[in-house]
Amino acid sequence: MNLNRIKLNSKQCRIYRVRVNDLEAPFIYNDPTLEVCHHESKQRNLNYFSSAYTAAVSAVDPDAGNGELSIKVPSELWKQGDEMKVMKVYIEFSLDQPKGGLHFVVPDVEGSMAERAAHVFSFGNQNSTRFWFPCVDSYSELCTWKLEFTVDASMVAVSCGDLVETVYTHDMRKKTFHYMLPIPTAAPNISLAVGPFEILVDPYMHEVTHFCLPQLLPLLKHTMSYLHEIFEFYEEILTCRYPYSCFKTVFVDEAYVQVSSYASMSIFSTNLLHSGMIIDQTPVTRHCLAQALAQQFFGCFISRMSWADEWVLKGISGYIYGLYLKKTFGVNEYRHWIKEELDTIVDYELKIGGVLLHPTFSGGKEKDNPTPHLHFSIRHPHTLSWEYYKMFQCKAHLVMRLIENRISMEFMLQVFNKLLSLASTASSQKYQSHMWSQMLVSTSGFLKSISNVSGKDIGPLIKQWVDQSGVVKFFGSFAFNRKRNVLELEIRQDYTSSGTQKYVGPIKVTVQELDGSFNHTLQIEENSLKHDIPCHSKSRRNKKKKIPLMNGEEVDMDLSAMDADSPLLWIRIDPDMSILRKVEFEQADFMWQYQLRFERDVVAQEEAISALEIFPTPASRLALTDILEQDQCFYKVRMQACFCLAKIANSMMSTWTGPPAMKSLFTRMFCCKSCPNIVKTNNFINFQSYFLQKTMPVAMALLRDVQNLCPKEVLNFMLDLIKYNDNRKNKFSDNYYRAELIDALTNSLTPAISINNEVRTVDNLNTDVRLILEEITRFLNMEKLLPSYRNTITVSCLRAIRMLQKNGHIPSDPSLFKSYAQYGHFVDVRIAALEAVIDYTRVDRSSSELQWLLELVHNDPVHYIRHEILSMLAKNPPFTKAADSLLCNEALVDQLWKLMNSGRMHTFNFSPRKFLWCLYGLNPSIYQSYLGQKPKQSPCLERAFCEYHVVMEPALIGVAMAPLGLKRKAETPLSSSPEPGQVMQEEPSAKASVKSKVSNLL
Amino acid sequence: MADSVVMGSGSLNSGSRSGSSKTSTSPTENYQLARRRTLQVVVSSLLTECGFESAEKVAVETLTEMMQSYITEVGRCAKATCEHTARSTPTLSDVVVTLVEMGFNVDTLPVYAKRSQRMVITAPPVTNAPVIPKALMAGQKRTHPTYIPSHFPEFPDPHTYIKTPTFREPVSEYQVVREKAASQRRDVERALTRFMAKTGETQSLFKDDISAFPLISSKPSAIPYLSTLLPSELELQSLEETDSSEQDDQTDSENNPSNIIQDDQSADKENIVLPPGGVVPTGKANEENMIDNPYLRPVKKPKVRRKK
Repeated sequence: MNLNRIKLNSKQCRIYRVRVNDLEAPFIYNDPTLEVCHHESKQRNLNYFSSAYTAAVSAVDPDAGNGELSIKVPSELWKQGDEMKVMKVYIEFSLDQPKGGLHFVVPDVEGSMAERAAHVFSFGNQNSTRFWFPCVDSYSELCTWKLEFTVDASMVAVSCGDLVETVYTHDMRKKTFHYMLPIPTAAPNISLAVGPFEILVDPYMHEVTHFCLPQLLPLLKHTMSYLHEIFEFYEEILTCRYPYSCFKTVFVDEAYVQVSSYASMSIFSTNLLHSGMIIDQTPVTRHCLAQALAQQFFGCFISRMSWADEWVLKGISGYIYGLYLKKTFGVNEYRHWIKEELDTIVDYELKIGGVLLHPTFSGGKEKDNPTPHLHFSIRHPHTLSWEYYKMFQCKAHLVMRLIENRISMEFMLQVFNKLLSLASTASSQKYQSHMWSQMLVSTSGFLKSISNVSGKDIGPLIKQWVDQSGVVKFFGSFAFNRKRNVLELEIRQDYTSSGTQKYVGPIKVTVQELDGSFNHTLQIEENSLKHDIPCHSKSRRNKKKKIPLMNGEEVDMDLSAMDADSPLLWIRIDPDMSILRKVEFEQADFMWQYQLRFERDVVAQEEAISALEIFPTPASRLALTDILEQDQCFYKVRMQACFCLAKIANSMMSTWTGPPAMKSLFTRMFCCKSCPNIVKTNNFINFQSYFLQKTMPVAMALLRDVQNLCPKEVLNFMLDLIKYNDNRKNKFSDNYYRAELIDALTNSLTPAISINNEVRTVDNLNTDVRLILEEITRFLNMEKLLPSYRNTITVSCLRAIRMLQKNGHIPSDPSLFKSYAQYGHFVDVRIAALEAVIDYTRVDRSSSELQWLLELVHNDPVHYIRHEILSMLAKNPPFTKAADSLLCNEALVDQLWKLMNSGRMHTFNFSPRKFLWCLYGLNPSIYQSYLGQKPKQSPCLERAFCEYHVVMEPALIGVAMAPLGLKRKAETPLSSSPEPGQVMQEEPSAKASVKSKVSNLL
Repeated sequence: MADSVVMGSGSLNSGSRSGSSKTSTSPTENYQLARRRTLQVVVSSLLTECGFESAEKVAVETLTEMMQSYITEVGRCAKATCEHTARSTPTLSDVVVTLVEMGFNVDTLPVYAKRSQRMVITAPPVTNAPVIPKALMAGQKRTHPTYIPSHFPEFPDPHTYIKTPTFREPVSEYQVVREKAASQRRDVERALTRFMAKTGETQSLFKDDISAFPLISSKPSAIPYLSTLLPSELELQSLEETDSSEQDDQTDSENNPSNIIQDDQSADKENIVLPPGGVVPTGKANEENMIDNPYLRPVKKPKVRRKK
């Protein structure tokens, strides 16, 4: 085999010269994704775009041996290739104002770069390392690394691997960080962060180092104080040490995602940091840390063979993360999470279409698209929709859980351990790169080791959930046959609508009878809908006896509500969530009430609560109130019960007796004994009641009276809560609580009665609204003087103001929101303000606002904001297919088409004709992945840069060699000349000697 | 003689009449006038006794003045003499000594008193002793303690020595306290925000009335995460307060928190100003010095041999 061409991935780099073994080599650089559809006038629809885009991505797919950069190996060396000798490839390149891959944050304040907390970090979705240096940008190409970064002396460069040494340059104004990564790692798992970071060595694990931006060290200390527990947990369950010799966490501003994991380091959003006073952020941050660490084992250390095997990695890391949740936050939290994830994936698949975990592509023709229902191709990670990928991850870990159900957790962990130990053995084999394939996981390899370890055949399970997309939709109903004492259960399936599939196999049904709880396993088969289940107990409700529950507990129940002839208390279908399904089950209201009160499983309780919404009766009310009061009950169930109670109360409006729902309950729980209208001074030491205290007013505000207004009593109650809120003696911050009180005020708003669209003025303001507005004004103004954590209060105030505008209480005007949406506000505030502007755009059909938003999509410095604007626009589109709108015009189509066609944009299906009617209606999610993949078009990114040298060590040589080429600055100034005194100097010359391709191609 | 008496009494009458007219105005003045009238009558009768039939008014006035002075002097001296001997009430002997002192022959007094042509003067009309205007009474006047003889001067007016605390007993009713705290805080916040809104740029929700619900305009900050993530000083302070109150009974709550905060800040600053090498300050616990972390190692000097 002749090696005459080497193909590498590279985007947006300016390549000066390439040398192979010291010989100049000609090269061609072509990035087909820069203009996806060439003749845009001819055809403009989303399907065409999608296929063109897939073709463009395939053309540079490293897994297929393609790349943007094609290097012609000098003919003198062809023989060497044949002899399997090593070739060294030197590439001199520079990167000028990168639009993606690296993100610069340079605050516009006085002082040196270090004082300004200027920093840079790498980011990107999936394999996007090609954005900042030429490489084989594939997860399956492993090599060892030597990395050098020369930065200003005030900066720290954090990268993958071990920091070998730090050396000053000759002028002593800069220093060079030398990193060595001896563990074979794929290029997409390489990252970099440079900034004037504060350094914290983990007090429990000295090989772990944390980095944060200046002044945040106290927060970092607090936030990281429990990381060692997560480490210990994973190492224990996997019975495997953390594979890398060190671990680094870096917290950066303007992060694109909250967490991203790379080999031996993770980059987090700085907004995850919090002090000890903050309650709500703490679990969120811990979840993020646990996720990051799980991905270190599966995702970074163990990489994937191909894109089709991605689900294994995401599945395993998600699954062990779930185990951590179960251990740290308890079984209730874990089951609640599983239910939540299951509901999300089921909703997505039923609405958008199936999510396929393991796509197989035969032939490579576009016609064989396994997912024709989607408006994007799932062939490449880059062509995916952002939302779809989230659902993909969600499904992957749920499927892992199904496998666990099948083969037991013990075997599951053994499999993981096996994967890890094989990989770590392989990683130490420095000279045998063929061994390194053990570090790549594939679907077949994973399944093989499952069957080796457990001896069980999980083929049908894999076929059902991995090789096939869709979820199962069950409808259940039952009848009790008194003569035969048999429960006749009917389970039907809908497998024709989109996103569904047919299920055949066992299903577990739990029946709670008077004599106890009984599990039955039924076989779902082709044609059998009805199942007879014999009952154990006769109906004998007169005998006073305690009723045994599933968990062995025996309780007294008031059985007067139930049917005298039937011994059935409640029935649950698939209680363990061992099928990816949606169950719609019909049972009487009293059965749901019993289930809510006496079933101890949180999932059952939550199901009962959502079922009770359609039974607005005094009995439902009582059951919900009892749950609310019961402090042994899981707090999230109680929170859900609040909202259900509000709904029921509204349905029962005419027959409702007593004070408004939850008011007396709240008074009893949280108000002073002596004066019931005054809330106790805050004490959030009990988190369960804290969350309940936060939620109840929000739910109460949803109550409506006969005129469909929020009852005066409730409104006054909430105003009193705000008035008497006193946090002075509390050791926790009350910012989230206050924000929720504002949300409660927002919820209490109802449309204003307006006569002939009169202009809203101060004088004709409703008195209640005036009170609300006064509170909001005061809160918003106070926030300027004493900002709350993450500006939660501003966020709530902005939402409230938009709601006031929308309901016609105050004049509708986007200028306030536009000012809050500016760059320089906290990201949460910006998102809330943008959401309001988008809502305004839809309601008022303002084309100038839409234009303003699109402008922001083009120009905003923060990638996350740009992505989020489009994502929110897709959720709340300014016009739909059905409605005729002035906004819908040719110019807009042009603009959007250019936006997605102009560069690294993905997954759009536009149909030009339809588009005039409905850009968004056709496919509401068209926008979502758009910036998700690779953000582009950053405005002027700072011309500050650091110099880096990357050495991908060839497997066959093993010994790292620094690039031999002389350091050479870019001859031509790529941007205006560096200002004197600029600290991080622009020095975009970087060289990479890439040699691994050799072994790859041979 | 009788005329003069008549005249005198007439003048007396008129005097008393005029005095009575004045009575309504000032009792003290009235009392003094009455006494003086009596003296004038006495002087007139003495003159009559001596054989004068009439006297000029000026002469009578002068004589009256002399007499009054004399009597006053006798009284004063007698009092002084008696006090000199540590008594409080003058006795006869005191008066005698006084008269002797003043060069009066006391022996002639009984003879003079018993002279035949002596005129009897009617007692002066009873006038009410002047009422001393009541001083504003503050508190209970204190009586002498038992060990002080009653003849000792009385205590001065209570207002000269009693004290009245100016604070009022705090209201302890819970509801009222909460109510007050809440409205006070609200008032402060409202006043503060109004002030800030008035003095700075604002945004408005209403086009017709810009001042109705003024919102302090939003200003983007260069480093937005700092103010939003770091707890405000107020929060820190209250946290310290609750902490210290948990530990001890707020012995010195006014000084403690601020000190602690200052310490905190200085500690933070120590960390902020990292040496350029990115090395954690060495002032830390000894344990950290022993940690072998590559990021804590000193930066190496460049090798000399590599010259450009």
